[in-house]
Amino acid sequence: MGTIALVGNPNSGKTTLFNALTGSNQHVGNWPGVTVEKKEGKFKYNGNIYNIVDLPGTYSLGAFSEDEIVARDFILRGNSDVVINVVDATNIERNLYLTTQLLEMGVKVIIALNMIDEAKAKNIQLGIKALSKKLGVPVVPTVASKRKGIDELIKETVGLIDEKMSLKPTISYGDKIDGEIKSIKRFFTDKTLEYPPRWIAIKLIEGDQYVHDLVTEDKDLDSDNEFRDILSRIKENDEDYELEIVNRRYEFVKDVTKASVIRPKEAVKTITDKMDKILIHKYFGLPIFILIMFAMFQLTFVIGEDLLGEMMVTVMDALAYAIEIFLININSPAWIIAFTTEGLIGGIGAIIEFIPLIVVLYMLLGILEDSGYMARAAYIMDNIMRKLGLQGKTFISMIVGFGCNVPGVMATRTLESKKDRMIAILINPFMSCGAKLLIYLVFIAAFFPDSGGLVLFIMYFTGILVALIMGKVFSKTLFKGESADFIMELPPYRKPTLRNVLRNIWDNVSEFLKRAGTIIFAVVAILWVMAVLPVGVEPYGAESVLGKIGLFIAPIFKPAGFGTWQAAVGLFSGIAAKEAVVTTLGMVYAGVGEGTELISAIQNAFTPLTSISFMIMTLLYTPCAATIATIKKETNSVKWAIFAMVYTFAIGWVMAVLIFQIGRLLGFN
Amino acid sequence: MLKDLLSVIKDSDYISKSNISERLNISEELVEEGFEQLIRMGYIKEDVRGVKCDIGCGGCPYAKSCDKVPIKTIKITEKGERLLAK
Repeated sequence: MGTIALVGNPNSGKTTLFNALTGSNQHVGNWPGVTVEKKEGKFKYNGNIYNIVDLPGTYSLGAFSEDEIVARDFILRGNSDVVINVVDATNIERNLYLTTQLLEMGVKVIIALNMIDEAKAKNIQLGIKALSKKLGVPVVPTVASKRKGIDELIKETVGLIDEKMSLKPTISYGDKIDGEIKSIKRFFTDKTLEYPPRWIAIKLIEGDQYVHDLVTEDKDLDSDNEFRDILSRIKENDEDYELEIVNRRYEFVKDVTKASVIRPKEAVKTITDKMDKILIHKYFGLPIFILIMFAMFQLTFVIGEDLLGEMMVTVMDALAYAIEIFLININSPAWIIAFTTEGLIGGIGAIIEFIPLIVVLYMLLGILEDSGYMARAAYIMDNIMRKLGLQGKTFISMIVGFGCNVPGVMATRTLESKKDRMIAILINPFMSCGAKLLIYLVFIAAFFPDSGGLVLFIMYFTGILVALIMGKVFSKTLFKGESADFIMELPPYRKPTLRNVLRNIWDNVSEFLKRAGTIIFAVVAILWVMAVLPVGVEPYGAESVLGKIGLFIAPIFKPAGFGTWQAAVGLFSGIAAKEAVVTTLGMVYAGVGEGTELISAIQNAFTPLTSISFMIMTLLYTPCAATIATIKKETNSVKWAIFAMVYTFAIGWVMAVLIFQIGRLLGFN
Repeated sequence: MLKDLLSVIKDSDYISKSNISERLNISEELVEEGFEQLIRMGYIKEDVRGVKCDIGCGGCPYAKSCDKVPIKTIKITEKGERLLAK
């Protein structure tokens, strides 16, 4: 008869081992007073019945969480005869930290070195005997999931129950701390707090608040002046002591694993070092980054348009035709047919055709991210931004902004100083989000079908450039002060996994479709009503409500070359959602041309030069409503939200006008 | 080991756990564990995918990208700086 406790890190296979030991003979309850789950079970060996308690999985036995306190109290109060410490053989260095703390407790420990098969598969060589000798406890290799080594583990564990407690190697914490342990240990007996005296001493020196509180609540101890003096002396040094104790535990782990673990030299490491010598080189890093981005945009068009685009257009046209026939066949009212074919298919359909390009771009971005290159790009940009006196970490929120400005603005939360954060929030809308990408794709299809990659590249980089310039302006004028320092982690390069890349595509495309079905649908519906009212005017004409609004705004954009009412309402609706710029154009130009109507309508309404000034305007002008709301929420200020709306509009307008006017002077059309 | 790790972090332009493991002559797993321990003890702070959507945007189409900050950064805390100054 006896009780055995199971202790281990989360994911060490502890629960699997518990199941392997107990079979179905187990029940689940709660630890008294806490919400932590208590699992108990039984097994029979040589006619005797043994209890097993599965303690909560923890990384250490401090007082960081309820789990840790439950686990250590159970062991220290002598509730178990033996502790089985489940150690993940593939991650032994990290698991042994917990082991050192079990050894400090002075209890009988046996190690189940679990997942030994996975360690073998990873070519990790483990010296079981050396490990056992260094730790001073028995070590049994197991594969709990396949019930391997379980019988041996039971035999050893049961044997340990009857054995006399042998002396374990104690970890030395250095002369100073060892001296302190001695000086304070003598105040405790085995009866004090029901914990072992040496353990209480170590915990007090380590600054364990839980134990400290228990000790000071003890009236006998608290009235002892000498004890109080020692305690306050320890308290004065507790930061140093804590570090030293933890340090010594790791030195012990290092010593143990040096003698018992050999890991294969990973080829990945050397490759990473070699690649980084070039990819984050002081001078070559930036040109390579630019080249990679350029190649990515080029590739997007090669794969997305030449291979998949044609297919999508055919499918969409067939689908639109089928829907129209269906609606006519079921005798739908004329307005439903008009709304569906002109409003929905003309509007939303216009954007569906570009999905292949979006899929490909996010696939390539996903590959870059998953391979570890994105972190290098951020590191290169960080260096540049530091030289400009900007906070380099801002670039991380800018990368997020390439997906959508809403999470981009929220990602600025990781910036600690208010100055850095405000700047990062205000410049994030200049990043080309997925919705703006769509606008570029439509205009590229109309005017630059052969140099789409280059145009996209210019748009994305113009956004970054304007963001950097405005960041610099803000840091010189509105927000002054110090930036917090930080260091970026560059993970090793790895082969992108299909799963991660597919998930990245799915996340972005499903967002896109969800928006098409909700916000954009709503915008299209509202604008459609405005475009056909009042009753009697020519639908989608200048006399409709929408046309009148457009005519009212249009003169502002005349100096930028696109002073038509259609362009004006496009930009206006883009404030609701950027995709709406395209859907609105698609709708107001519906019926103008044949086939890919939108594209040919745009070719009629714009020129190559005005298409560029229009794209620049959409890149830079007022962010969408969701982004503005997020800016308001994150800055907690209506004033800054309005500022962001107005100043981005001003920058967009000035840039669009400059491009148009200079372009015209240079003789472009 | 922890203090060495902290000073290496302080000196580095960027963190590469494989470089650090080579410099300190300890396994990469132990470097990894050391980082976690330094974080637990409050000597360094780590931003990992720091953005949690707490503005009730569960239904927001972009909710998924919110906690997808792709790059980890580390900052040495005041406690850490104090230790290094000693």
